[in-house]
Amino acid sequence: MTLEMRNIYKSFGANDVLKDISFSLKGGEVCALLGENGAGKSTLMNILGGVLPADAGSIVLDGQEVQFSTPAKSLDAGIAFIHQELNLVNDLAIFENMFIGREIKRKGGFLDAPAMIAQCRDVFGRMDVDLDPTVMVRDLDASYKQIVEIARALLMRASIIIMDEPTTSLTDPEIERVFDMMRTLQKQGVGIVFISHKLKEVLAVCTRYTVLRDGAMVAQGPVEGVTVDELATHMVGHQVRTESLRQERELGEEVLRAEHLSQDRFQDVSFSLRAGEVLGFTGLLGDGRSELFQAVFGSGGRYQGQLYWQGQPVQVHSTQQALALGIGYVPRDRKENGIIKDMDILENGSIVTWPRQARWGVIAWDKVREAFFQQAAGLKIKMDSEKDGIGSLSGGNQQKVVLAKWLNAGPKVLIFDNPTQGVDVGAKEDIYDTILELANQGVAVVVLSSEAQEVIRLCDRAVVLYHGRVQGELVGEEMTDQEIMRLATGGEMRERVENCG
Amino acid sequence: MGNAEKNKTGLLARFQLAWRTNPLFSTGVALIVMVVVQTLALTMNSSFASFGDWFQNWLFNWISLLRNNAAIGIIALGMTFVIISGGIDLSVGSVYVAVGAFTMMLLDTGANGWLKAMGLTGVPAILIALVLAMLFGGLLGEGNGLLISYGRMPPFIATLGAMQILRSVTQYCMKMQSPTLPETYKGIARLGIGGQQLMPILYWAVLAGAMYFISRQTTFGRYVFAIGSNERTTRLSGVNVRKVKRRVYALTGFLVAIAAIIQTSRIGSMDYASAGSGFEMDAIAAVIVGGTSMSGGRGSIVGTVFGTLIVAVMNNLLNLIGVDPYLSAAFKGAIIIGAVLLQRKDKA
Repeated sequence: MTLEMRNIYKSFGANDVLKDISFSLKGGEVCALLGENGAGKSTLMNILGGVLPADAGSIVLDGQEVQFSTPAKSLDAGIAFIHQELNLVNDLAIFENMFIGREIKRKGGFLDAPAMIAQCRDVFGRMDVDLDPTVMVRDLDASYKQIVEIARALLMRASIIIMDEPTTSLTDPEIERVFDMMRTLQKQGVGIVFISHKLKEVLAVCTRYTVLRDGAMVAQGPVEGVTVDELATHMVGHQVRTESLRQERELGEEVLRAEHLSQDRFQDVSFSLRAGEVLGFTGLLGDGRSELFQAVFGSGGRYQGQLYWQGQPVQVHSTQQALALGIGYVPRDRKENGIIKDMDILENGSIVTWPRQARWGVIAWDKVREAFFQQAAGLKIKMDSEKDGIGSLSGGNQQKVVLAKWLNAGPKVLIFDNPTQGVDVGAKEDIYDTILELANQGVAVVVLSSEAQEVIRLCDRAVVLYHGRVQGELVGEEMTDQEIMRLATGGEMRERVENCG
Repeated sequence: MGNAEKNKTGLLARFQLAWRTNPLFSTGVALIVMVVVQTLALTMNSSFASFGDWFQNWLFNWISLLRNNAAIGIIALGMTFVIISGGIDLSVGSVYVAVGAFTMMLLDTGANGWLKAMGLTGVPAILIALVLAMLFGGLLGEGNGLLISYGRMPPFIATLGAMQILRSVTQYCMKMQSPTLPETYKGIARLGIGGQQLMPILYWAVLAGAMYFISRQTTFGRYVFAIGSNERTTRLSGVNVRKVKRRVYALTGFLVAIAAIIQTSRIGSMDYASAGSGFEMDAIAAVIVGGTSMSGGRGSIVGTVFGTLIVAVMNNLLNLIGVDPYLSAAFKGAIIIGAVLLQRKDKA
């Protein structure tokens, strides 16, 4: 089967997401679709998968122009979309998952389990995998779940399979298993679109690549002969580095040092942090930086390794301990971790410091209010009344309220996890100003971000993680989009071999 | 409220706004309507010689209504915190009977009285018994709290287990016992003015005031709301979530113990098989009718007092107009469903 997408346009409001994209794929090809977050990869594939309509352009399958108004129509035409979050029901057996919504039934509406199991075995046989269709999906590891999704696609007679970042939650041997699967399918003439950020994986498994940037196609070609560096440069483009906010500062004593921290999602991470320093941690989605610093903050469960607080060994196993030491954490995913939706602005912006502003457990609301207003003014929080619900504020202002509760606590180390997620440009700059102001006051700041630009503009130093390990550390001018992208996708450190791990 | 701009919009518009957005307001209105109907029913039910006669009747009816509901009202205060924190406590009825039995054994004037055996009688014995009973209730609640916070058990299951265990063990232990209480102890509830027992009402009022204060002005009270609304964020704000949860259940156990003390002193005895059974559902009903969200994070002590009164006034009303007692549970159910329908507010 050959697929062609011709001159696709798509915009959301005034925002042009796809501009004149043409994309093609033949059976037996594995094509990598590359680009930074927001480059338009998912939008393009959602159009192909029937999730979104295109504004203009056409899709041609084997010479026939087709229209996919729903995912089901796309699937009927032989295109299967395997989403990043797998669509499997853990509490059902493999075969039940494979036939969900399209069960084989006997007369009278009873399910024909033997027939479904037999068909599953047939598909697994073709794929060369040894899986028992009656096993519960719950008991499978992430790679086999991925394989079940692929098998389901084949069962639906898909000849083109779109895989959206299939490897983010997989371990190395699991990734290898999925890749073997992909190669088998490729030999059988299935076309695969492989969306990924991990360039080393692209070189390992793909035959062609296509790079999108800001909704435009910037490069494509055969993978043979291409290097990780070239792909990274295509993805980032020649963007001029927007003005750096980095400043020369007198760094103080070391406040926090981590030695060989390990848990499921990060291994053997060591770093040292000094007062007045802004240290960045970056990498791709699922690189383990969030889990790492949740562990440091005492909310991530048990870990191996040792933390040192101002030179003294400490174990932090609860957020109260972290708070008592002077560690603060502004979490990512504001809605789940940052705000308390049923409480008002004042309470959201002060919960951390209630015990300090209370006597015998009775909160002195006057003092709380005064302290909050002081931060609110500094952060330029736009609100009507502090008694309004937190939900009445914009995303940026909500984030500032979350920040305010930590600023009042006067931490010595403040960890920002994705601090500008879902925040508009103006608020973003306000948050950057606050971070730099903190550093000037001698607070040690850690910024976790997957936006290379954010790290480059703010941080004095950046640690790049890859699969939970320190892949490299960049200082000052060494931090460039290309360099960060290269390390984050698994490239090695250049020359300077010294490594903080 | 009350500023010039809001006055301009007119009484009706303000009423509509409050009705649409404030759950406490509609609960309050519902309560007032119930009270008006109840008063009418009382007035038409029998003929009164004078206004004084009517007033005395009305007052005594209310005093007995409040007194009869003081125990459940106090338990509902604790249940409010539990539900706001995102949990549930099914064991209150069994804690009630366990504490009741414990208190009676402590104070038994017969040969088996625990305190009497240690040579303690009179007022000191009663004071010791009161302290121990409250501690015991708190401890039983703490047990629930430990299972839920450290044992990571769903509150429904942990307290369902405790409910079965406590009642069964109490019945077993009390199989051969029939304690009698000293007369002085009965004064705890029976002290009153003009032959009317007012003490249970007073305890309820004081505890409701205290719980209201705790819910609004203390770190503990606000943490309870925060945990119910978003436990993760609360933990990430450096709050010891487990400790707060433990305390919520311990506090409920403590309040249940007070209810048990009041009831044993009022009645002077206890039927270990049936006393307190159904209390968990009555308390939950009062909390829900009072506008507290089953999913946690939202609710109020004032609402729960209103909720307790709504259910109580309705029972009283059914009594006054002579509805078959078999139907009273149906009305209670209807009130619960109706109240929750009323409380579906626009998103503010």
